[in-house]
Amino acid sequence: MMLKVKISQTSPNPLQINIECAPGELHALVGPSGSGKTSVLRTIAGLSNASIGHIECGNQTWFEAHDLKGLIKSLSPAERTCGFLFQQYALFPHLTALENVCIPLQNSGFDAARRKAFAMDWLRHMGIADLAQRMPYQLSGGQQQRVALARALAKKPSALLLDEPFSAIDAPTRQSLYKILAELRKELNIPILLVTHDLREADLLADHITVIDLGVGLQTAAPHVLFQKPRNSRVAELVGINNMFAGVFTAGKLSWDMSSRVFDVVDKGKIPPGTPVAWVIPADGLSLHANQAPNSIQATVQQISALGQVAVIQLLANDDKHMISWEASAAEVKRLELEVGKKTYVEIDGSKIHIMPLRPINDPRRFTS
Amino acid sequence: MDMDAILLSLKLALWTLVLILPFGVWVAHSLQKLNKSKSWIEASLALPLVLPPTVLGYYLLVGLGGQSILGVPLVFSFTGILIASLIVNLPFAIQPIQRAFEAINPEIIEAAQVSGLSNWQIFRLIELPLAWRGITSAAVLTFAHTLGEFGVVLMVGGAIPGETKTVSIAIYDKVQSFDATGAGALSLLLLAISLVAIAISYGIFGQNPSRQKRWR
Repeated sequence: MMLKVKISQTSPNPLQINIECAPGELHALVGPSGSGKTSVLRTIAGLSNASIGHIECGNQTWFEAHDLKGLIKSLSPAERTCGFLFQQYALFPHLTALENVCIPLQNSGFDAARRKAFAMDWLRHMGIADLAQRMPYQLSGGQQQRVALARALAKKPSALLLDEPFSAIDAPTRQSLYKILAELRKELNIPILLVTHDLREADLLADHITVIDLGVGLQTAAPHVLFQKPRNSRVAELVGINNMFAGVFTAGKLSWDMSSRVFDVVDKGKIPPGTPVAWVIPADGLSLHANQAPNSIQATVQQISALGQVAVIQLLANDDKHMISWEASAAEVKRLELEVGKKTYVEIDGSKIHIMPLRPINDPRRFTS
Repeated sequence: MDMDAILLSLKLALWTLVLILPFGVWVAHSLQKLNKSKSWIEASLALPLVLPPTVLGYYLLVGLGGQSILGVPLVFSFTGILIASLIVNLPFAIQPIQRAFEAINPEIIEAAQVSGLSNWQIFRLIELPLAWRGITSAAVLTFAHTLGEFGVVLMVGGAIPGETKTVSIAIYDKVQSFDATGAGALSLLLLAISLVAIAISYGIFGQNPSRQKRWR
């Protein structure tokens, strides 16, 4: 069952987003805090309503509201068959783990004994059957989230909504929950929507990522596409791309104020001549050399941060303005004899450059600075 | 000891409790959903806290005066003092329950909604059990307060033995007629009952603090 969400509103908080999530797909909504990620999830679950939009899961419409006709249909949260995982677990504090999982089965038509057996199955599935009689306050964060996950899945939801489910959990426990989620995905074959502010988490788990900022969905793409070809400079900023620079684009040629070099870039004919653009270069488009080559840029090593086998090197270009960040293996750093203060030469592979407008696609000023 | 007065006071307190608790739960729960009119309603419900009992008694006397329910006249009757007692106890019954409902984390209610529970099921299975401390507190306060109510009961009911002469009024009567021993015994009884009521309420609230903390 496909989950299709298209919502927009201007107040109380702006929202404009379009998501399609296929069965078995894990779709991440990523953005800074306050970007409206959670609002989107709450709207899908029916905990709040958008002013205009359409939400459907499979062949069932959960929500429909038009600009002129107003609200046409809005199912209550109870009627929408989705499982929801809260950041702070939101377990019923007066009920045991088992009773918590029994609650969604209340209207299943099963008798109490069957409900208990069914709930117990889910706890066993989450590896916490031995904690069935514990109260929520007797459980650790990770255990509580497993109970909450069992509760969200007990009524066989047609979609699963996860609201920053791992952010309050310590790193080792988080790893085991990732594993559970990865296994569940295959098994359940329902659309899963994950809200997170952690890009690494989204990259690790999701098939598709929607980057959201100020309530607006800026780009939806597979993680590797998003990191290599962000749609605009804001997306590049949000996904943490380090090497982003300004330039001017004219008919397939990108000039950079930093160097006399002009790069040849694929021109799709959409950008007017002389347009200021932002451009990014992925890590594999950069190389460092000890000697000057034609078109290379002289830079000084500012900082070397070694992270295990990988080192991040911050270079200051010789114009004293542009910082270039380069990731390399420890062996590479040794080979180039890099150390703070050393002069080196950076070469940029023009074919790896990705250019993009300075402003989002829906901004009329996108081709003006 | 004036057994009639003691039994009458207990009867009044129990009836008040039985009638006011469901009403208090309903009002406290409904108040959560109100926005604009909430503060006005809350203020009127709290009025008996600040209004002098004689003033309240006066209005009730005038208001209930000539009226009757099923042929029973309302003033100077048990029904009359029961109505008076219900009104006087509104803030004691509603406020603790209201606070208890307000203390429930809204996310827990949302979790119940997305779990597929109806509003009635959420109320019965989630909100009511989470608010039970507030409800107990309301019950204890109402009970103890009704036993000791004096001004309004005297204004509306007078002091008809077996009908409207409660313990507090009996104590007053005994003092007036210089029966210090009788007044002392009844006072001691009221003191003991109040102490036990408060102790019960504290005992319930004091147990298992870690659990209580996490509930809020």
